[in-house]
Amino acid sequence: MRAVRWFVIVVGLLFAALPLVWMGLSSIKHRSDTISQHLRWIPAAEAPADAESPTFESTLDSYRDLQTVHAGAQHSFWHHLWNSVIIGVLSTIASVVLGTLCAYGFSRFRVPGEKDWLFFILSTRFMPPLAVVVPVLIMYRALDLQGSHLGLALLYTVFNLSLAVWLMKGFLDEIPRAYEEAAVVDGYSRFGAFVRVVLPEARTGIAVTAVFCLISAWNEYGFAMTLNSSGAVTVPAYFAGLQGNIEGMPWPQIAAGALIFVTPIVVFTILVRSHLLRGVTFGTVKQ
Amino acid sequence: MSTTATATRQRGGSAIAWALVGPTLLLLIAFNVFPLLYNVALSFTNRELVGDESRWVGTANYTRVFGDPLFAGALRRTALFVLCAVGAELLLGFALALALVRDFRLKRTVLAVVLVPMMLSPAVMGLYWALILNGNYGVLNQILGAVDLPQPQWLTDRDLKFWSIVVIDVWMWTPFMALIALAGLSAIPPHLYEAAEIDRASRWRVFARITLPMTAPLLGLAVLLRATDALKQFDIVMATAGPNDAATQTLSTLMYQVVFRDGKIGLGSAFACVVLVVVIALATVFTRYLDHLRRAREA
Repeated sequence: MRAVRWFVIVVGLLFAALPLVWMGLSSIKHRSDTISQHLRWIPAAEAPADAESPTFESTLDSYRDLQTVHAGAQHSFWHHLWNSVIIGVLSTIASVVLGTLCAYGFSRFRVPGEKDWLFFILSTRFMPPLAVVVPVLIMYRALDLQGSHLGLALLYTVFNLSLAVWLMKGFLDEIPRAYEEAAVVDGYSRFGAFVRVVLPEARTGIAVTAVFCLISAWNEYGFAMTLNSSGAVTVPAYFAGLQGNIEGMPWPQIAAGALIFVTPIVVFTILVRSHLLRGVTFGTVKQ
Repeated sequence: MSTTATATRQRGGSAIAWALVGPTLLLLIAFNVFPLLYNVALSFTNRELVGDESRWVGTANYTRVFGDPLFAGALRRTALFVLCAVGAELLLGFALALALVRDFRLKRTVLAVVLVPMMLSPAVMGLYWALILNGNYGVLNQILGAVDLPQPQWLTDRDLKFWSIVVIDVWMWTPFMALIALAGLSAIPPHLYEAAEIDRASRWRVFARITLPMTAPLLGLAVLLRATDALKQFDIVMATAGPNDAATQTLSTLMYQVVFRDGKIGLGSAFACVVLVVVIALATVFTRYLDHLRRAREA
């Protein structure tokens, strides 16, 4: 049993990590080594003399080349990363602010039809982007929002509201009402009590909610590639757009870019690891 | 609820409450309910992606949707995808959780590494998997070649590419199942196992009578969450096979093809409406189940 257990753990670990390790190796290769017929997995200082050698010459060219504009694209990787940052940060701030206020309303006040509203909010998460994108596209054309940072940020804000409301409601419900009551007795206004007492108590919840909203905006592809196929193109849509270009896929640069793109996500995942369960189940399961 | 809490809840009145929840509800209605209704209206027209002209065509689009072998194929393929991917993720995730439930050194680190794939971008990782699985220079075939095994064309072979996409999805989402299953397993009170030990219950009996039933509600939640998500499968298919591949087309990529490649908004909206009926039905089951779980826990 012990052996089986460790076997499962090791296989799980390798299965999860190897593609990322391979991505790291690809990012320090020359393009010819990424599409070589032979397995090349040992980085070396110089190119091997033997064509069948498992070593390859390591280079940081791909990271330098992230500023090149590839065939079929209008801008470099950095430009698209910046688009992802602007859209991700804007939408995260907006969903967390709106979501926290909404969750506070549901947590502390009596809203008629509370349960129905909450389930309506949750159900919006199940909409396939491709099934609602056409009306949004027509709307955005009329408002001149297609291809803009604002348009996609707005859409991601709405898309993440279900997550933000449900997560924040879980966190706010855990803060005893007595805290606010004591603050009101001390002379704070209702708003004052919210800002001075509730928000500081909810800071972990706000941070966790922000991380989950940022990750889902950061990774989104369906809306990004249909609404912002030109203009403010985010990284997932940019990489996908390189497919089928005449020069062939610039694999080392894609690996380098993808690595830079996923690094913040990995860091955030580790930071919120004790709240992961809550995040992926909309706050319905707590450890 | 204590009397003071009730008083606080009522004081302040509903004006503040609506001011707090109103903006969120309005945005959701504007970006979800309105598009839904607009979709229904568009589905009865022949509107195209280019140009603003459109004419009422009655139920012609729906006749086409239900008579279209592409739609039937995409529906069947998506169902098969949900079934196989979510099924495999459940089994593997549960196995991983069983292996990880007992404490050991470095458990937190191992857990963090194992959980990373589900947080990454499916579009970007799907593209990267296309390099790994490439039939001619992908690392998987190089390894298979090194040990003298056959090297199939994972992404271009008609019979294989669908399963390659399932494998990529399993890579991304097995951690999700493992995470939720682990929470369920860790919550089983140890005294149940102690009692079983006193009764000298067999290992299988303990698993079937304690472990499985105690984790089942959470696993049900995980399966529903994953199924509603897998139903939308778009990113990985686009990254590996494109929108118009007969062997891998899902409902989402079919809608993309119809609207953005063929430019037929009216027909695409009819597809979307039919898909949304399925999604809303599933979402209803999901929210009901969640409500049921919560009430069971409170009881």
